[in-house]
This record gives sequence, structure tokens and C-alpha cells, in this order.
Amino acid sequence: MFEREDETVERVIQHLRRPVAIDPGLDARVMREIAQAPPQRRRVKPLWPLLAAAAVLATMLVVRPWNWNAANTSDTLQFVLVAPQAASVALVGDFNDWDPARSPMRTAHGVWATVVRLAPGRYRYAFLVNGVEWRADPSAPAAKDDEFGTPSSVVTVGGRGT
Amino acid sequence: MMLAALFLVTQVAVQDPRLERLDPDTRAAVVAVVDSAHGVGLPVEPIIQRALEGVTKGAAGARIVAAVRRLTVDLGTARTALGTSASEAELEAGVAALRAGATPDVLANLRDVRRPPLTVALSVLADLVASGVPADSAAAAVLVLAPKARDADLVEFRRAVERDIALGAPPAAATSVRVNVADVYSATNSGATPNPATRSRRPRP
Repeated sequence: MFEREDETVERVIQHLRRPVAIDPGLDARVMREIAQAPPQRRRVKPLWPLLAAAAVLATMLVVRPWNWNAANTSDTLQFVLVAPQAASVALVGDFNDWDPARSPMRTAHGVWATVVRLAPGRYRYAFLVNGVEWRADPSAPAAKDDEFGTPSSVVTVGGRGT
Repeated sequence: MMLAALFLVTQVAVQDPRLERLDPDTRAAVVAVVDSAHGVGLPVEPIIQRALEGVTKGAAGARIVAAVRRLTVDLGTARTALGTSASEAELEAGVAALRAGATPDVLANLRDVRRPPLTVALSVLADLVASGVPADSAAAAVLVLAPKARDADLVEFRRAVERDIALGAPPAAATSVRVNVADVYSATNSGATPNPATRSRRPRP
């Protein structure tokens, strides 16, 4: 059968308390090995992390993905058009090269919607319904200078908490 | 050297593949306008976008060329008023304000009283006019609010005016009332006293 737990613990303790025989010449051999070891070469810290950091910094300074004055933070905007009879609706505007294929809208029970991320600025846009019918956004200011005979709207993305 | 620079400038526009959506004659004319704008340091992206808007909407080539030429002239006027440091977004908003009826002096005054960017302030001015507010009333209102109001305050001001107009208020009167409310609100938020010029400069009802 199994021995009792106390007996097992006691045997382990006895084993650990048993004196360990160590070769008296061990210390001398270890010290001799240390004395004979070749001198360590001084490690030179690699420069590439510094160079990489400098390159990234230089790129950022040249490209300037931010604009200190404009607080150039993008906004995510949802565009919505209620058009229950429409078979397709596309959002087109200054932010997608007026290309109907770039921002197709999805529908849920006739409510068409899409989300676009815009940098600060003023954008003209319109909805293209069924590929032929132009509609302005009823919930946005109208573009007053409509030079092409179809309605457009404008959206302004500001950099200071709009 | 100058020839090389000129060649480079020309290539900038020629190589923009987006303009290939235009018919050859219209494209040549638009590229010439884009080159001209680029040569004098005006932003070309708004011009390209206007051409693309025209072709997507099926406008005739002559109409597209006229539109981009007019836009280029207006961008130049806006830059003169707003200064050479104005951003592309500010210039576009400046064009909208000019076309809404604001004078170049209004743009210059706005630049003097408000910390950049001016994009939202200029857009609010243009949008107010599009809502039916007389241009001089809209300009006066924005100039009163501009020194202290945040962009979000200006947008809220515009929405409030539009709501009042939708409920039947005369546009100029709605602007006049709302500008006083917004000025007091801005002053309260900033810890300053309301603009003493509000009374004398507020839009005429």
C-alpha cells in the first residue's frame, strides 16, 4: 500500500540533511579555469537602432504627417440616405475622386449608409442613386456653387473638436 | 535648370492617372490649368477634384474647363486674402466663403482675429449664406464669434440658426439672436466678458 504522507516528508528531509561529499580540489580547479580564461572582448553596442531611429525621425520631419497648426486629426463620418426604393446608392465626393465604385453604400430596410474617414477640410459630395439619379444630402448644407447642374452637399471636418 | 523644373512641373499633372477619365481635349485644357496653378503655388487637388466631379456628373468638357478655371482664380483670390501660409483646406473654404458673397476683406479680417485653422469658420460663413442668411449678416456674425468661439461652437451656432430658419424665423433675425447667445456662451466658457462689439457689429435684422 501507500506509505503515509508524514513518512515521505520525513524521508525527504533526511535525504537533504545527508552531508554531501565534495572533492577538496574542486575550489582550486575552478580558480585555475577562471585564471586561464581568455579576456572577454569589450562588447560594442550596435549602432543600427540609433541609425534606424534617426532615419524614422528624418522621414517624419520631411513628410510631416501632422500639421502643428491645423491639429490634423481625421474624423470618421457616417453618411446616411433614406431611399427605400433604390436598388443601389453610392457616395461620391472630393474624398473619393468622385468615383461611384469607391464608396458603395449598404442598406438596411431602405436606409443606406457608409462610413468614411476624412482629414480636416471642406468636401463636396452627393449620392448617386441607381447609377443615374443625383441627390444632395438632406441633412447637410447644400453646395451653393453647383456648376454642373446637379445638387451637391458639403461637409466640413475641423481640427478643433468639431 | 529652369527648363528641367518646368518639365517636372508639367509631368506632375500629366502623370496624374485620374485625369484620364476626361476626354483628350478637356484633359489637355484641365492639365494646362493645373500646371498653371501648380506654377504659382496654388493647391492642385481641389482643381483635379472639380474636374472629376464634372466628368462623373456627365458635364460637357467646356463646362468642366470653365469650372476649373474659375476655381483657380478664386483660389488665388482666397490666398491673397488669407495669406501664403493658408492651408489647402482653408483656401477651399475661403473660396466657398467668397462665392457665398463674403468679400476678400472679410477673409482678411477673419485671419486677423482668429487663430488658424480658419477652415470651419469660413465654411460656417458659406453654409449660413446657403441657408438663406444674407452674406453681410453671415460675415458679421462669424467675425463677432471668431475670436473666442471654438470650431464646435461655430458649427453649433450654424445648426441653431438653421433650426430657427426651418421653424420659420427670418434668416437675418435668427442669425442676430443666435450670435448674441453664442457670444455670451463663448465668453462664459472662456472666462472673458462678452464681446462689447457684439451690439454694434451684430448682423442687421
